Amino acid sequence: MPDMLEVTAYALQVLLILMAIAIVTHKNNGTIIILIAVFSLVTASLYVINKAPDVAIAEVAIGSAIIPLIYVISISRQREFIVLDKAMDDFIISDNSFTGVGYIFLKRFTDFYHLELNISNDVRLCSLGAGRDQLLCEETNVDLIITKDEDTGKYILKGKESSILMNKLKQMAKDYEMIEVVTFKDRDFGD
Amino acid sequence: MIRNGFLLLLLLVLFSVFYFSLQDLLEFQKTSASYFLEYGLDETGSSNLVTSILLDYRLFDSLFEAGILLIAVSGIIWISKHEIEEKNAEFMIDKFKTPDLFVTFSRLVYPLMLAFGFYIIINGHVSPGGGFQGGAIVATAILILYYIDAEKETNIKLIVTIEKYLYLTILVIASLSFFTRGTFFTNIFDPGTFDTGTQSIYLIVLNVLVGFKVALGLWTIFTAFLKEGR
Amino acid sequence: MDPLLTFIVILVGMYGLSTSKNIIKSVFSVTIMESGVILLFLNLGNTEGGSIPIVSRASEVIADPLPQALMITTIVIGSTVTALALMLCIKVFHHYGTVEWREILARGGGK
Repeated sequence: MPDMLEVTAYALQVLLILMAIAIVTHKNNGTIIILIAVFSLVTASLYVINKAPDVAIAEVAIGSAIIPLIYVISISRQREFIVLDKAMDDFIISDNSFTGVGYIFLKRFTDFYHLELNISNDVRLCSLGAGRDQLLCEETNVDLIITKDEDTGKYILKGKESSILMNKLKQMAKDYEMIEVVTFKDRDFGD
Repeated sequence: MIRNGFLLLLLLVLFSVFYFSLQDLLEFQKTSASYFLEYGLDETGSSNLVTSILLDYRLFDSLFEAGILLIAVSGIIWISKHEIEEKNAEFMIDKFKTPDLFVTFSRLVYPLMLAFGFYIIINGHVSPGGGFQGGAIVATAILILYYIDAEKETNIKLIVTIEKYLYLTILVIASLSFFTRGTFFTNIFDPGTFDTGTQSIYLIVLNVLVGFKVALGLWTIFTAFLKEGR
Repeated sequence: MDPLLTFIVILVGMYGLSTSKNIIKSVFSVTIMESGVILLFLNLGNTEGGSIPIVSRASEVIADPLPQALMITTIVIGSTVTALALMLCIKVFHHYGTVEWREILARGGGK
């Protein structure tokens, strides 16, 4: 009769390879996080079979709680489009609901690129002067700033030139009379 | 497609190289295990030989490892820092309403996990465990706190400052052996004159310090991630 | 236990790293490769019929504790390095508006 522990070890090894292939080839990031958590549990049991309980404890503690958490956060963050509304009139909110022209426009844009729209009108960030808009864009995670030109009544959307989303937004805004898209020139990133 | 096939060919070549060099690699396992089994307990006072390597034979490595952890944490904080204060930095978790059942069970599990983490840290020299693993478990226990109370505020600056001083303390305690035995980075009690019971005091102290350092480091990392909001 | 099977895990990670189109996928692949390397080290350090590396009267042969001690540090370091990479990934998304390698390189991200 073969050694049961050895059989288990081989079965887990094969399972590990299959899971690694699944993680590499799968398309949905949400499923991959669950697979990664299970993957680290399987490796932890293999460490125990390899006579290394110390390593297994470390792997279980880190690989099943902290690593999936940071993956979940970073994946949910890379689906967000953060908009700062400095105009604060019926561009976004009309009749106490999200039915303004700008909201519908932005919603169409984000749905098209499978992003999640997040609009904030934080008092502290909005009270900063217009000259600091570029700094605001670079230092925080805000992707788009909405301001209103008092003279012409146009709404100006400001964003980073480096972002590929701003190019697409420009293309889309051509059909709208009242929207103008402005991009900031790049400064050195990460300097 | 051609590129993919080329890649697979390359991987196949790597595999065959590994296959032919395997015999040499298997020699590797006959080197050190018997030495550690024979002298490990007497020289370091730790029955867990992994701990004896981490905290005695290769303490220099562990110190640098703790240093790299500190550097990585500082890097994460530096990348995620924002020059403009953000007031409503919401936590990620409170978006999904945590179920009441989950909160109740978290309250029950939290002290147990914390106690288990401390147990792993303190018993690092006699049973599987030690500073690094116990620190990770303590950090996971602290993570549960965020599920119980989503509004919890953490002062990252204070945590990192404590971590830095802990690292300095570890360095100082590790170098104390220079004054008692004449060599750096080993047990401060000479195995010739002290028994293993006395020697384990040093191991426990160093394990606790390393454990706290790792726990604080991981705590900082996930707080930085949870705060990465508007 | 076979070191060859463990090496396949590393190769799968390599394959993922070279075919990944997006940054997060690359980080996933690095995590897989890291697990494979750890498993390989432990596998080579393990001796047949050995027990866990704790001194007791019963144990005559033990698994080599040296690679195990090295691998514990690898796990802790690996998790922090993953965290650093993911934090950079968030920043890259907010700067370039995408995490696809091709688009980032097209916009001069590889300079």
